[in-house]
Amino acid sequence: MLITGIKSRPVYDELTPMASGLNHIAAAQGSGGKPLVRLLTAMTPEQLASTTVLYSTESFTGHNFLSELQQFAVRELRVFPGNADAVGGLDTVLAAAEMGTRLYLAGSEGFIGTSMQVATSYGMHRDEVLREHAGSFVRRVWCAHCGHYSENVAHRVFVCPGCELNLIVRDHYSGRLAAFQGVKADSEVPGELPANEELDT
Amino acid sequence: MSEAQHGALQLQVKRIEAVTPEINRYTLCAVDGSWLPAFSGGSHLTVLIPVGEETKRNAYSLMSSPYDTSEYQIAVRRVDDGKRGSVAMHSSVREGDVLLAGIPANLFPVSKHARHHLFIAGGVGITPVFAQLEELSLKGSSFELHLAVRGPEHAALGYELKDRYGDRVTLYGHDGQSRLNTLDILAGRPLGTHAYVCGPTRMIDDVVASAHGLGWSDSNIHFERFDDLGSTGDPFSVTLARSGAVIEVSPEQSLLEAVEEAGHTLPYLCRGGACGECETEVLELEGTIDHRDDWLSESDRCTNKLILPCVSRATCTKLVINA
Repeated sequence: MLITGIKSRPVYDELTPMASGLNHIAAAQGSGGKPLVRLLTAMTPEQLASTTVLYSTESFTGHNFLSELQQFAVRELRVFPGNADAVGGLDTVLAAAEMGTRLYLAGSEGFIGTSMQVATSYGMHRDEVLREHAGSFVRRVWCAHCGHYSENVAHRVFVCPGCELNLIVRDHYSGRLAAFQGVKADSEVPGELPANEELDT
Repeated sequence: MSEAQHGALQLQVKRIEAVTPEINRYTLCAVDGSWLPAFSGGSHLTVLIPVGEETKRNAYSLMSSPYDTSEYQIAVRRVDDGKRGSVAMHSSVREGDVLLAGIPANLFPVSKHARHHLFIAGGVGITPVFAQLEELSLKGSSFELHLAVRGPEHAALGYELKDRYGDRVTLYGHDGQSRLNTLDILAGRPLGTHAYVCGPTRMIDDVVASAHGLGWSDSNIHFERFDDLGSTGDPFSVTLARSGAVIEVSPEQSLLEAVEEAGHTLPYLCRGGACGECETEVLELEGTIDHRDDWLSESDRCTNKLILPCVSRATCTKLVINA
């Protein structure tokens, strides 16, 4: 479970079938396949038959649950090589979805956050979505100076690939941007960097 | 701008029109001609109607444009077997009369995040929708209205909206035969659709049941039941933790009104349980809170750690709030 002192970090759920929904869309990435397998196991045959699964095999920790996911008699399983592709696939699926749909998300914080951005753009409300964090707690970081998004950031200080400034990762998560904020680390005295540390991943 | 005196606005009746055999429309303006307090689509006005020695407090939806506060419009349906407030509005109130009313409050606001707004109304339930559609129309939002009436002589307000919004308005019953089917209207809607229903209890229950059956979640279903408005009930007492004051809430007033009458202030905005501005922490409770707001989540209600003094009450031997 993701328990930190960071107040802005989302509070995640545990994936369980939402019986009030008539249609289900479940999207996961890497280690998120594990909670997804648990979710599908808990579903009735009728729920499985009305479930579309999207799975990205991209993983920071190297876990792949594709063969396990293929065992379920779901309506459709769409596999993607990368997380961004899976989020794009989710956009396509939600564009055609109707009221009465429930969404399940599992994986890294960056994957859940960017998927949630898509769900929000379709007007999905929090009571129609469950999110479960899985795998590493590496952070998605937004550069406050050039707007570049860096995925899988594991250290407190790093060089922004967008503008090459030294950034320090603040413990502030933006749900809207689905990222932590990175700001110039040596703005007071150029070149004088704070001690680097591994983030609590 | 007009200001409330002792919590009441003084409104002059500028015009009365009969729009159906049972419904009159009243156009009201400030006695001194100044701007009236602003409101949003779906708001209602509590009008103080003198009936003999008594004063009835009836809530009527504002149906004029939220973008023009030079006047308010309300529609009053005459209910002969009711509590006589509407009968007094029809039989005693004349153009030029002055009525007292509360500040508008909104228990039925439109969702700011909806991708499509779907209105279902019956009879006089159309009144809040007038202002809601005006608001959405000016914002360029996507909407449609399905309105059921009892016959051609009851359809005047529906025809007005049909003139304004064309195909986005569908009437039922005006021709004596077409019937509104809620399941047909709600089925197959894209994600982010919000439904609003205002009409007889039977219609509200029907829409809510159909929407649930189609897998809609509660956050996308909105309705207004007029009989639930206001805050009346059994008396109780409340202690304000900061001053130690003990305040008695009478059956006819809300917790907020009682606190104000005793000379204390609490933050407030809508006074209708919709905005959450007056949300107050409950420090001690021996008994149960009767949550009547539309603000707190189900889990917040269960913890009994928060209360909305503008509408909610308590059945308790002790209630201490952080105010």
